[in-house]
Amino acid sequence: MESGILELYVLGDLSPEEKLKVEEMAQLYPEVKAELAEIEKTLGKLADSYAIEPSEGLRDNFLSKLTFNEEDTNTSISSVNLDTKQQTFSSHNNAKVIPLNSSKLNFYKYSFAACFTLLIMSVAALFVLYNNLQESKEQLAVLQSSNQDYANQVNYLDKKVESTNEILSVYTNPDYKMVELKGTANSPESKMLVAFNPKEQKVMIDMKNMSMPAHDENHQYQLWALVDGKPVDLGVFDGVNSEAVMKKMKAIDKAQAFAVTLEPKGGSVNPTLEKMMVMGAI
Amino acid sequence: MIKTKKITLEEPALIEALQQHKAIGAEALYDMYSASLLGVIFKIVADREIAEDVLQETLVKIWNSIHQYDATKGRLFTWMVNVARNLAIDKLRSKDFRNHSKNQDIENHVNVIDEQRNTTYKPELLGVKDLVEKLKPEQKKIVELVYFQGYTHVEVSDELEIPLGTVKTRLRMGIMELRKYFK
Repeated sequence: MESGILELYVLGDLSPEEKLKVEEMAQLYPEVKAELAEIEKTLGKLADSYAIEPSEGLRDNFLSKLTFNEEDTNTSISSVNLDTKQQTFSSHNNAKVIPLNSSKLNFYKYSFAACFTLLIMSVAALFVLYNNLQESKEQLAVLQSSNQDYANQVNYLDKKVESTNEILSVYTNPDYKMVELKGTANSPESKMLVAFNPKEQKVMIDMKNMSMPAHDENHQYQLWALVDGKPVDLGVFDGVNSEAVMKKMKAIDKAQAFAVTLEPKGGSVNPTLEKMMVMGAI
Repeated sequence: MIKTKKITLEEPALIEALQQHKAIGAEALYDMYSASLLGVIFKIVADREIAEDVLQETLVKIWNSIHQYDATKGRLFTWMVNVARNLAIDKLRSKDFRNHSKNQDIENHVNVIDEQRNTTYKPELLGVKDLVEKLKPEQKKIVELVYFQGYTHVEVSDELEIPLGTVKTRLRMGIMELRKYFK
């Protein structure tokens, strides 16, 4: 008792074995217990004499950090005490664990909702884009066909320009002699033009400004040149459905007159004079 | 710092309230012991702000580990002082504290040195009788080191180069002296 060990016990400065010894002694000898109480009281008063009032707000700060258990107010200490303690701790733990779980659950809930919303938005966007794509394809097809139309028209115009140029080149060339063939008794209304270029030995007939009666499928017109009183074959042509504007006939270097007869398809070796439709002298 | 209503409970009632985690237990704990515990902590860390942080830690630890306290082995306050002293010493040795100390200005530093030498006192301590001053210098030193600096008696023996038995005797004599004073 006089060794100072009790003081060290109160100060918490003993090994576990020494501590047990002191506790045993305190159980056995009331005076040891009283001495310990006396030392505790003294050191407590010593501490009290140095007391410093904590700052304002510290109290509320401290209390706000705690979780209170206001139930079980009637529980007696002793035997039930341990249970209450357990309950307090477990409910304390639960209180901390539940919000953690539910916040985790909330996180999953929200992320699922977000994913689902995103999915719906994606599908809607895809649908809109698909519709736009279809529309564009249709427009493209329309444009392509109208483009084709224009191309055709250009081709057509090109051909027309070409043929017009051809006509112009014939009519404006002074080497061509224009020979007007007039209707005979067989067809007084008929007439056509033959362009003859003796220099280049070219014979063209004007298909556009031709006015000849229609003939059936088994016949064709045949152009003849009268050279020194003899008819020379210059080729056949159709009176209708002709694409060409100026039709080039067989070559000849001289002629006194031109005549057209209606002959069986393919032409004849000698002209059928009874079927002479038009003729004209140079 | 006048509280309109301070709650005090008898020790057994307080222990029961703390064990059952009742609000009144926490309030009584704070009202009855925060000032004394802060005094002990301040004696160790010598910084008001840090001392209050440690006080918070101490009170929370008491609240959470009250089931470790055994009433048959001593007074509640003795146990609480040990908790406070241990946390304060931990703080003193922590990196946190050393960084904080480096940032203290010179004026503060002088105060800390003075504090350690016991030549002057913080304003908080003015008006409070320094009971340790009543003791003989050799007793005073040992009570200081053990009670307020958290030294073990073995450490005091090494520090002051005094035999262990002498440390214990002087400690006992010092406390006896104080007992006389409080009577």
